[in-house]
Amino acid sequence: MADNLKQGCILCQIVGNQIPSKKVYEDELVLAILDVNGANPGHCFILPKNHYPIIEQVPDMEIGRLFQVSNRVSSAIFESLGAQGTNIFVANGIPAGQIVAHFAINVIPRKENDGINLQWQPKQMSEEEISTIELKLNEQTKNIGHFEKEEKKPRIPTPKPVALSEDEEEYFSKQMRRLP
Amino acid sequence: MAEQNISPEQLKALQEKIKQMSPEELKEFQKKQCIFCQIVEGKIQSRKVYEDDKIVAILDINPANPGHILLLTKEHYSIMPQVPDDEVAHIFMAAKSLSNSMLRGIDAQGTNIIVANGVAAGQRAQHFMVHVIPRKANDGVNFTLPQKSMDLGEIESIGNKLIAALGNIVNDEQMPISKVADKMLEVKSPAPFKEKQPADKKEAEKGKSGIDLDDIAKFLGVK
Repeated sequence: MADNLKQGCILCQIVGNQIPSKKVYEDELVLAILDVNGANPGHCFILPKNHYPIIEQVPDMEIGRLFQVSNRVSSAIFESLGAQGTNIFVANGIPAGQIVAHFAINVIPRKENDGINLQWQPKQMSEEEISTIELKLNEQTKNIGHFEKEEKKPRIPTPKPVALSEDEEEYFSKQMRRLP
Repeated sequence: MAEQNISPEQLKALQEKIKQMSPEELKEFQKKQCIFCQIVEGKIQSRKVYEDDKIVAILDINPANPGHILLLTKEHYSIMPQVPDDEVAHIFMAAKSLSNSMLRGIDAQGTNIIVANGVAAGQRAQHFMVHVIPRKANDGVNFTLPQKSMDLGEIESIGNKLIAALGNIVNDEQMPISKVADKMLEVKSPAPFKEKQPADKKEAEKGKSGIDLDDIAKFLGVK
């Protein structure tokens, strides 16, 4: 990815430690951080270290790893934060609610009546409309099926807690407010 | 799912019967109660848009938008933490490809990928699934997440709890899956599963498969 695209990307700056963050997991491809303005306390972003604006650009192997880490973070949220549920949520593209041009997975701790709404009103469609959509999607999906599989990786190390200086903390909170 | 009326006596008899079942029989029982397992097996009709050896993608009959896809594992898992790593990777690689299919095939301008783990998160069916939802500007779907402000001390303390929990999960050969699953599905009675060196092998197996009588009761519509 060209450097000019990465410049100004807040998540790339977090990956590069130019902006401090509370990291909860890190390996050579994936970083998991806490959102300081999360939908609930414990809301995490799981992001690729490489800069990819949307999911279609992320290589399969990294997709696999990103969601495996998301699954572990989701379990950890259960174990340690007393959540009653979790959502894995991806907004891909501006109409879908994406704000930062760097692919990221939201893992959100949930409790009853916590004010988060990821429900929808079902849309009514005619049989004909449904059949047309089905045909069009089938036309596209017949090429799916070959995924690059992840090679065997050594055990994933746990990240070391990051100590922040006071200046960094201030910068951190200021910058992170721009995140979704 | 068709709700069945069942008396407390019948439930008790059923629970007794379930207790006698082997882990394999239990899993089979759970599958029989699951509408999505029946869809996977083709016993209930659906509009399939993709299928391979591990997963099936069908059109949601209550779509947020036209083209809304449910991605299902062929194997029955109640929640995502029960799904093995290779299947997690596989199903989300497919989700990416399906997202791409929506951008190309049905003029989607974006997509949402959503998983709900647990009733509190909006999960309705007890079969793990991934929603892939095509999006357009002003399509009336609203998934806005609220922003809650937290102080850095709180972030730090939550982060350290997660790091500690992740350390255990990452370093455990097998994640304490059933423990997580039971909590998510709001099971009231404590699970028999013991994390380290279970005394009774059969009990441990039961725990691993994440099956609990209360879950089964819920399947049958018993409050």
